[in-house]
Amino acid sequence: MDEKVMKTVLVVDDEPTARIAMAARLKRLGYRVIEAVDGKSGLDALRRERPDLTILDWMMPDIDGPAFCERVRRDAELHTSQILMMTSHDQPEQIAEGLARGADDFLSKAASKYEIMARVQTGVRAASLIRRLEDVTEEIRRKQEMLERELQSAARYVESLLPSPGTLLPGVQMVHTYRPSLGLGGDLFNTVSWGDGVLGLYLLDASGHGVSASLRSASLATFLRRGNVLRHVGSTDPGAILTEANRQFPLTEDGHYFTIIFARLDTRNRTLSYATAGHNGAVLQRSSGELCWLAQPNLPLGFDDSTTYVTTDLTISPSDRLYLLSDGLYEVPDPNGELWGQERLEETIRRFGKAPMTEVVSGAVAEAIRWQRHEQFPDDVALMGVEVLDGDA
Amino acid sequence: MAMQTKERPVPNGVVLDLSGDLTYANREQFKTAVEAIRQKGCRHLILNMTDVRFVDSSGLGLLALVSQNFKLSQGKVSMLKPQSYVREIMSLANIQKLIPVYDNEQEALAGQKRAA
Repeated sequence: MDEKVMKTVLVVDDEPTARIAMAARLKRLGYRVIEAVDGKSGLDALRRERPDLTILDWMMPDIDGPAFCERVRRDAELHTSQILMMTSHDQPEQIAEGLARGADDFLSKAASKYEIMARVQTGVRAASLIRRLEDVTEEIRRKQEMLERELQSAARYVESLLPSPGTLLPGVQMVHTYRPSLGLGGDLFNTVSWGDGVLGLYLLDASGHGVSASLRSASLATFLRRGNVLRHVGSTDPGAILTEANRQFPLTEDGHYFTIIFARLDTRNRTLSYATAGHNGAVLQRSSGELCWLAQPNLPLGFDDSTTYVTTDLTISPSDRLYLLSDGLYEVPDPNGELWGQERLEETIRRFGKAPMTEVVSGAVAEAIRWQRHEQFPDDVALMGVEVLDGDA
Repeated sequence: MAMQTKERPVPNGVVLDLSGDLTYANREQFKTAVEAIRQKGCRHLILNMTDVRFVDSSGLGLLALVSQNFKLSQGKVSMLKPQSYVREIMSLANIQKLIPVYDNEQEALAGQKRAA
């Protein structure tokens, strides 16, 4: 025996003389042997002992050899068992039938000691290969499950970083939706309360997908927290914040980077200031219905450490709405590869008019899904809507 | 779509003819081709984008990375003839601020800064 561990062989035969002779022979060859007197007790033993090999007589009352094989192959737990079928009349037709009904190999009852030894060894070798394959598959499944649990836990953490929708300031309402493409996304958005009726809003997109993009975006989001910005930038000016973020977040060695839009809403004088870095995703919907994209052609963060990002100021009126969004919302192809695109997104927003923002946000996502004809977006999708209400904002 | 790269020496530089997609899937191939040229001490890399159909966000990052790496070794990178969609991507990200874009090889070689 070339295997250190003793292998187990189950012998199923209703005829005592033949069974005992075979068992004795196998024991002499160094195998552990289990005997079963008919098909039914054979199946029980197979389930209980999971032997490496089963040697099975063809002719048995009730469950005969081929019927035994068929049951084993249908059984989710047993179906990979190795079965060596024994027969006294080894006609080619009979061998073919036995193989077709689930036997792995044949052994003539008249076989020599050497042939028995060789066939049993072959069967045991196949069994150990199958077992190894099963073990490895099981191990991969376990590891995969563990990875998925970890990803889900990380995804829940990322979602916990997102702001709660509702009233951000007296007279300022916010809604949002977030659909990461791989469970764990590289898009992130948040609001920063600067105090005195001033609010920061941003939406960032880390290039790439998955774990690494998500880690990078969480780290930029940490940089953009109120206390950190005031300490390191000393200003709530969007351009100044992005200029500093650009210095703090160089390209990674794989060439990964961020695009971002950062806006500042001052409700005291109704001014919206914003700066963008390689990001072209904000739409301002005026109370008149007019739409304009807030974007300047600008390098993404990390491309050039000497870049100064410039702030643009706009005056806003009550009922104006600002939508910050990732390009993943409109860069969705239909089955022919045509993109939904910014213009169709604009049309959708226009069509909803003054409907509640929650309806606009869910409606825009639903429209993109209808365009691509499936639920799963190819890229992360984030959309945050902010409305300045009438009255004493 | 896969990417092909072909290196072509010119006076005072190397032209790298690219064709296919400059995307995440082809990043190693692009990085290897460009790094080989940089290691040889090339001071001016001209990326010929005539036959590049598509650049994704990873491709954009690679272009920025290449430009930074050449700058570190006292070299520079130029870009030749990006086509419609690619040109649009480049201008949205203002990449010409980092990598000058030219419409023909002579101008790229002369390094004449001409808005393209």
